[in-house]
Amino acid sequence: MIQLDGITKTFNPGTPGEKTVIRDLSLTVEPGDFITIIGSNGAGKTTLFNLISGAVFPSAGEIRIKGRKVTFEPEYRRAMHIGRIFQDPLAGTASNMTIEDNMMITAQKGFRWPKISLNRGMRRKFAGQVKTLDMGLETRMKVNVSSLSGGQRQALTLLMTVLSGPDILLLDEHTAALDPSNAAMVMEQTRQVIQERSLTTLMVTHNMNHAIAFGNRLIMMDAGEIIVDVRGQEKQDLTREALIQMFADIRKKAFENDEVLLAT
Amino acid sequence: MIEGIFVEGLIYAIMALGVFFTFRILDFPDLTVDGSFPMGAVIMATSLHAGVHPLNGLVLAFCGGISAGFVTAAIHNKLKVPHLLAGILTMTMLYSVNIRILSNRANLPLLRVDTLLTRVQSACEGILSPEIASLIFFILVVLGLKLALDLFFLTDLGLVFGALGNNEQMVRVQGVNPATLKLIGVGLSNGLVALSGAFAAQYQGFADVNLGQGIVVSGLASVMLGEFLIKSNRIWALTLRVVLGAILFKAIMYLGRYYGYYINMTPNDLKLITGLLIIISLAVSNYKRLRAKGDA
Repeated sequence: MIQLDGITKTFNPGTPGEKTVIRDLSLTVEPGDFITIIGSNGAGKTTLFNLISGAVFPSAGEIRIKGRKVTFEPEYRRAMHIGRIFQDPLAGTASNMTIEDNMMITAQKGFRWPKISLNRGMRRKFAGQVKTLDMGLETRMKVNVSSLSGGQRQALTLLMTVLSGPDILLLDEHTAALDPSNAAMVMEQTRQVIQERSLTTLMVTHNMNHAIAFGNRLIMMDAGEIIVDVRGQEKQDLTREALIQMFADIRKKAFENDEVLLAT
Repeated sequence: MIEGIFVEGLIYAIMALGVFFTFRILDFPDLTVDGSFPMGAVIMATSLHAGVHPLNGLVLAFCGGISAGFVTAAIHNKLKVPHLLAGILTMTMLYSVNIRILSNRANLPLLRVDTLLTRVQSACEGILSPEIASLIFFILVVLGLKLALDLFFLTDLGLVFGALGNNEQMVRVQGVNPATLKLIGVGLSNGLVALSGAFAAQYQGFADVNLGQGIVVSGLASVMLGEFLIKSNRIWALTLRVVLGAILFKAIMYLGRYYGYYINMTPNDLKLITGLLIIISLAVSNYKRLRAKGDA
């Protein structure tokens, strides 16, 4: 579904602020994969998503989506296949518009002509879809999204994203800004829709329990490289302790490297 | 007198609707308006002198405005120039273009030609006074344009425009190119502005290349004044309050022009008043927002 081949991303090349955030990274995502991605801050997780979605272009390497080369294709064009949800619950909806207006906007992908689709039948359909969230939002279809809570907005964003029919779902710590009960609720909703629609999913998370409990494959990133990639049975057997041990090993190695640097 | 305020307010309301589209919906502060307003006026005047039917003249003015908007949007999109600068560039270039359209003149009177207004007035002769006839005519025109704009914002394309000013990322994630939207939006907005200029020329009886000086600021003042009148998130109310705001603005300017001498004001002070009006509007809405936050 997604192939990254020897991807390197350097910001501000040739200046004192030069920073390489992705280093010769290769990754093949199979159709139906649900990959959880963990790694410390600055490991390059969000840049990886930006590269896949086309928000930034790589300095070297090649990206293919569904076999087609998209390395330098603009974000809006690639978005026809990709649904992306951000950590910020405000990022996925238009605050000053009603729930049904928001749903109408995301009900289709790509450019549209000035024709009116938001009629009574469409409103009923949207209300029915919102009802599946079980939040009572179906009675508030004409209120502005800005009046919803963060959890409600994120649940709505997930619903809208999935209904727009993407092949690939990129979840960038989409529950990190929510309180524990809302986070659990959105994660459960996430699990359901991915299973129902067998979406190819990449999910960045800081929650190690989520990384273990969800998905069929786990990737750990550090300093712009993939350092752990487990899948299948190995992923199923993974425990929190084993994962922490892996983390500790990497940290230790990094620490030793620092010591070496300081000694010289 | 009072009809005059309403007619002028209605003519400027068309321009204010254009300014509302860019400033409020697209979040694209567009200064092209200062050039596209006189552009509409000079295209209309030149067309009328060339014997073109007034309705076709309006269409030409509308198209001229759209192309001016396209230029601004293209400069912004392609060269990654900030929108303010892109607008100033087009506005400055339009000054020369407008003089060219008037065949190297700075103004053109419309005294002896048949305008849309004189046609309407002569058609209503005997039934309505010329003032009332123009008032009814402009009420119908502005109502028609307002309803057309309302309908447009209910379409699938119009809704995406709403999202663009709110959350550009959301638009891109939906597979829509924001650059295309800006091109369409800034184009349509300037089309409306030029239309307003075309009506203004016919109402005043002349076209002048300096007609647009500071017009974007008065449009903005109208939009902001209107926001104090009605509180709503429905599009019909948003456009209605722009129209009402434009009439209110004209009324305030009228008061300043005719009664300002009581406080030693001259018509030259009106621009200062316009600016102060905007600053007061901003201060009041800031204060309201802060208070609303404090209550929550």
